[in-house]
Amino acid sequence: MEFIVIGLLVLLVVFAIAQYNRLIRLNITVDEAFAQIEVQLKRRADLIPNLVETVKGYAAHEQSTFDAVVTARAKSTSASGIADVSAADGALTNALRGLLAVAEAYPDLKASANFLSLQEELSTTENKVAFARQFYNDNVRELNTAVATVPTNLFVGLAKVSAREFYELENPSDRTVPNVNF
Amino acid sequence: MADNQFRALESANKAKTYFLLASMGLLTWVVAYAAMTYFGLGTASTIVPIAVGVALIGVWGSYYSSDKLVLKMTGAKLITRDDAPELFNVIEEVVIASGLPMPKVAIVEDSAPNAFATGRDPDHALIAFTTRILEVMDRDELQGVIAHELAHVANRDTLVSAVAATTAGAIAILSDFLMRMMFFGGRNRERNSNPMALALSLVILLLAPIAAVMLKSAISRKRESLADATAVSFTRNPTGLRRALEVLASDTTVVAQKSNAVAHIWIESPLDGQAVSKLFSTHPPIQERIATLRAMESLGQSDR
Repeated sequence: MEFIVIGLLVLLVVFAIAQYNRLIRLNITVDEAFAQIEVQLKRRADLIPNLVETVKGYAAHEQSTFDAVVTARAKSTSASGIADVSAADGALTNALRGLLAVAEAYPDLKASANFLSLQEELSTTENKVAFARQFYNDNVRELNTAVATVPTNLFVGLAKVSAREFYELENPSDRTVPNVNF
Repeated sequence: MADNQFRALESANKAKTYFLLASMGLLTWVVAYAAMTYFGLGTASTIVPIAVGVALIGVWGSYYSSDKLVLKMTGAKLITRDDAPELFNVIEEVVIASGLPMPKVAIVEDSAPNAFATGRDPDHALIAFTTRILEVMDRDELQGVIAHELAHVANRDTLVSAVAATTAGAIAILSDFLMRMMFFGGRNRERNSNPMALALSLVILLLAPIAAVMLKSAISRKRESLADATAVSFTRNPTGLRRALEVLASDTTVVAQKSNAVAHIWIESPLDGQAVSKLFSTHPPIQERIATLRAMESLGQSDR
């Protein structure tokens, strides 16, 4: 009889530890995933001065586009917290699109080796940012589900873990409803 | 949404793998039982552990050092970032999407487009590409292929195929052993005297190795479908992998070394699919894989 009681108690403790560890592990993964987003955003920010200089060499009079990129970059490097970082990220993505659109008009620029390698670096970094964002959001979804569902939700207080914010892209052009004319 | 589609596909394929692995276990048990019926408990209780032991040692060794072993068997050469910066860029993208550690990367000099992944766990993973696949594929297609290979790493397919190979190996050794004993009069007094039971166990011993190879191939096929689904969960882009498979399907050259031993690790089977019966092939028909991915595409692209 005692064995059964002791056995049940041991099982209960093991179960509790497993739930607690799962929450902690998910929380750490979310932190790591966010750090990965920041690493990639920093990489992109570091590429920008070079890219702007290269484009300037061919298209010096497109000053307003350069200014937009430089301002957006400054905002993104000083942003902190998910909401700020994602807003600045979206603005910078738009500004960069503008810069690349400018480059389209200059065949010499588009053919230059320097520009091509910068463009490759930029597009891979854009992809990495997008994938880091996706990985972060997937993990936030998993953490938030665990925080809200039985049995993990019973250990939320003990593990001091709470639901986290999704990384939503503040991109005005994605939000506006397209104009439809009949 | 495509989102639910690949998750459902993933869990269905996983469930099928578990079922097949369980069937393997059942088959081993049936064979052991047949051996017991035919030769008596004394002989069977010596032979069964020996067969399992030999198979285990053989497969475990190749599983544990799979990354180094496969490099030797396929003639792949490890490369660094400087050798192929663009390839590394695309690999790093998928690595971030999957949350896996960065694998080792290798190149095989070959005129057929193909790729494979191996390694005992994600920390010892190796993915390799033939020189030809890097020439014929664009960035999106390559991303699909890399995602498929990293999906094998994430799903621990080296381990799954090692388990399947061990069981199939043990059954083959067992059956071989018992056949020999039958010819050299290994029967003893302990054996069952019911002729029906004897005949049945003989048939089981004869057919078991074939059944084991069929089960092993079925497991391999399910793992390929699973890797396609997991690849989409990494990239959220079924189109890239689908176009990559179409490139592979339209290409008629096959990898020069058609060794059976490493056939299952490539993304496209290097053995001629027509010649081998469907039951024994290590890969699902490529058209079927393309159709599955196409179905995911038509359900709409999901957000990143």
